[in-house]
Amino acid sequence: MVYDGILLGLIVGFIRAGWKNGLIAIGNLRIKGGWAFPILLLVQFLLFYLQGDIPFFAQFNGYFYMVIYVVGLALLWINRHQKGLGIIFVGVLLNFLVMMANGGRMPVSLEAASVLDPIYIEMLRSGDAVSKHFLMDESTRLYFLGDIIPLSPPYPRTQAISIGDVVINVGAFFFLCQLMGKKSKDYVALSQESS
Amino acid sequence: MGGQQRLIGLLKPKEWLVVAICLMGTLLFLSFFWPEGFSLDRKDWVIFYAMVAGAIVLEYFMYKLPPEGNHQSMDSTIFLASLFIYGVKFSLMVLFVSAIIIVINRRTVAWWKHYYNFITYSAMIIGAHWAFQWMDGTTGDFIVGEIYAFVLALIAYFSVNIILVAAYFFLLYRNQLIPVLALFVRESLFAYIGILLFSLVLVIMVLKTGFFGILLFLIIAVLLSHVFKQLFLMYHEINDKANKDQRTGLFNHSYLEEKLDEYIKLYREDGKTFSFAMIDLDDFKKYNDMYGHPQGDKLLGFVGSIIKEECEPHGYLAARYGGEEFAIIMPELDKNKARAFVNHVRKRVNNAPFDGVDVLPHGCVSFSAGIIEMSADTYEKSQLVGLSDRAMYISKSKGKNVVTVYGEQTYLPQQFEHEINELEQQIRIFLSKDVYTFKHSKRVFSYAVDMAGILELGEEERRTLILGALIHDIGKLEVPREVLTKRSKLDKDEWEIIKKHVTFGKEFLLATGKYTDLVPLVELHHERYDGGGYPHGLKGTEIPKLARMLCIIDSFDAMTTERPYQRTKSFAEALDEMHRCTGTQFDPELVLPFIRYIERRIELGDIPDEALEAMEQQRKQEARHDDSRTSSG
Repeated sequence: MVYDGILLGLIVGFIRAGWKNGLIAIGNLRIKGGWAFPILLLVQFLLFYLQGDIPFFAQFNGYFYMVIYVVGLALLWINRHQKGLGIIFVGVLLNFLVMMANGGRMPVSLEAASVLDPIYIEMLRSGDAVSKHFLMDESTRLYFLGDIIPLSPPYPRTQAISIGDVVINVGAFFFLCQLMGKKSKDYVALSQESS
Repeated sequence: MGGQQRLIGLLKPKEWLVVAICLMGTLLFLSFFWPEGFSLDRKDWVIFYAMVAGAIVLEYFMYKLPPEGNHQSMDSTIFLASLFIYGVKFSLMVLFVSAIIIVINRRTVAWWKHYYNFITYSAMIIGAHWAFQWMDGTTGDFIVGEIYAFVLALIAYFSVNIILVAAYFFLLYRNQLIPVLALFVRESLFAYIGILLFSLVLVIMVLKTGFFGILLFLIIAVLLSHVFKQLFLMYHEINDKANKDQRTGLFNHSYLEEKLDEYIKLYREDGKTFSFAMIDLDDFKKYNDMYGHPQGDKLLGFVGSIIKEECEPHGYLAARYGGEEFAIIMPELDKNKARAFVNHVRKRVNNAPFDGVDVLPHGCVSFSAGIIEMSADTYEKSQLVGLSDRAMYISKSKGKNVVTVYGEQTYLPQQFEHEINELEQQIRIFLSKDVYTFKHSKRVFSYAVDMAGILELGEEERRTLILGALIHDIGKLEVPREVLTKRSKLDKDEWEIIKKHVTFGKEFLLATGKYTDLVPLVELHHERYDGGGYPHGLKGTEIPKLARMLCIIDSFDAMTTERPYQRTKSFAEALDEMHRCTGTQFDPELVLPFIRYIERRIELGDIPDEALEAMEQQRKQEARHDDSRTSSG
């Protein structure tokens, strides 16, 4: 997962709205069921931590991630009318589809992975260490939704990403821009409306 | 089955052609993916995504070019570059995926327009592909020696585009084919050449640097689009300044004339009709004198903004014609619909609050309007303006705040116009005493003008009826204000005073001397056909014909507008009442033409506001009445 869209969205948002208004805007973030997102994140970390210790988690890791994905998708779906969140939904869905089709893991292409550290490629090849990813081959389904896009210089980061990741980042960028682009008086109206 | 039947009935033959084009295009598109489908190498998928993203971005950053409504999108460069480097299937797939995303993004545009657009692009790509193949062009490389293959492909791409777009306008909007074709070629040729050459640049860049080429190209294209947008805005601003009236935000006189010429041409060539309205603010000079010109300008701006608001959603063209005059061109409206529309605007203007309008006679902002529908007899715009002007002046003479259609009432009582003005000055006194009587006199006058035409009266009789109608209640000047405006039922003594107004009126006319010929109308307009009226109880033909006519008009208006001492009737109810009183109160011979006249007005929806308002009030009052009755019972 890359977070460049979020970063870029925040930068552009702060430039456009100014420091104070931007912070106010973020403070006024309204998402239905928004409390669930940090919990999902927490569960993910927990899983990552536990999979080393308890074999049960390591074995069914993929399925746990699927459940998290479904909950996340549901949350995005009920918020899809906010600009950007619908796009994020599509991006997550694309990633979800390819992982579903491949037993809960994300396929990575060799060409894309070649920009990464060779050690990482070895780990992918052996197929055991990195639980969320695996190297794609001829039998991989929906391979074109997998991590096939290599990011390398001049881009300031080396990583292999999927088209779903790109879409998610575009959505995050739009979401943050519109969130921070609102005038503060809109918030007065909004808060009055909700109260 | 039922749905299909309806569809067949729904579409015209030409629209079926569009459907046929779409179907053929779809089959052509699908034939490229039959039977082996679409597949790519893993690394080509990356470039595929980049191309799709590029097509979407370029479609979004469309160039807007002057004049209005012209725009050019650079997404063609992407499709062409894809075609030249990766082949036709790749290019079609880029189109397909980007089109789906654009459709989702622009749900407001009708689906079939998106669809036709998609078919057009597919056909263009396929056309270019065939041309390229025919010239043995090498896919995936750029060889300078093969430049003719590229050029021919670009020509094919352009031609297919022009033909299909022209077909679209020809089949769906009935434009003529050849002129439309010529127009498109003329307008888009140069922009197009630029875009097509750009595609070659993109081919070279992608071949050389892959991904990075696309990115660089997108940045340049977006920046260019931004620059063009600035240019367009600048053009727009200057254009606005040249065509618009700064005070009101409406179009100006010269632009109106230009457009009027265009509409007249459209009428001549394609038979597209339109109506033209001339609008003049009532008593604007008075307002100006009272509050000064800056405030008067504000009033103009205010009325202008209302007119603009009403016209814009319908696509009507509103302009400031001069001083306090406005003009509206209403395409596709016949005169009756135009009347309804202008009347609607008039009511909105009447009801709009504005500072200081209480000095105006109507107590609100008002205008008089004349409407003319374009017809074969009208050969020039000055004639349109002149005739609608005439109708507008009839509105003025009918008491202002009226809309008149030219042709229904062209007979302006011009010969005695100054007499009308003179008498109008007399009844103006009622403005301070009893506004109802003032307005009533004007309405009765307006009905009388119409009836004089319908009854085909001679010149002398016309004048008598019209002037008599205007002045008939002048005797009420002598009736105490309390009696005139009393809301409750009048007692016997008060009735006697009211009844005396006919005699007062007669004395008034005799004293001034000039209008003694109107005396019979003023004195006898309350006589009844059966002899039950006042002041003399004359019967049948003992009452002069014009007085009998005036009695009918006067009674009708009294019935249908609010009087303190009686219940208001709707037009239909009033007509029933008139039928009932035919032969008793009214002369049967005269009442029938009047009833027919009113029926026609009801048909046209042309009912005076006061009558409608009075009805509304009446209904409310009765509702209240019923409420109190039920609650007490």
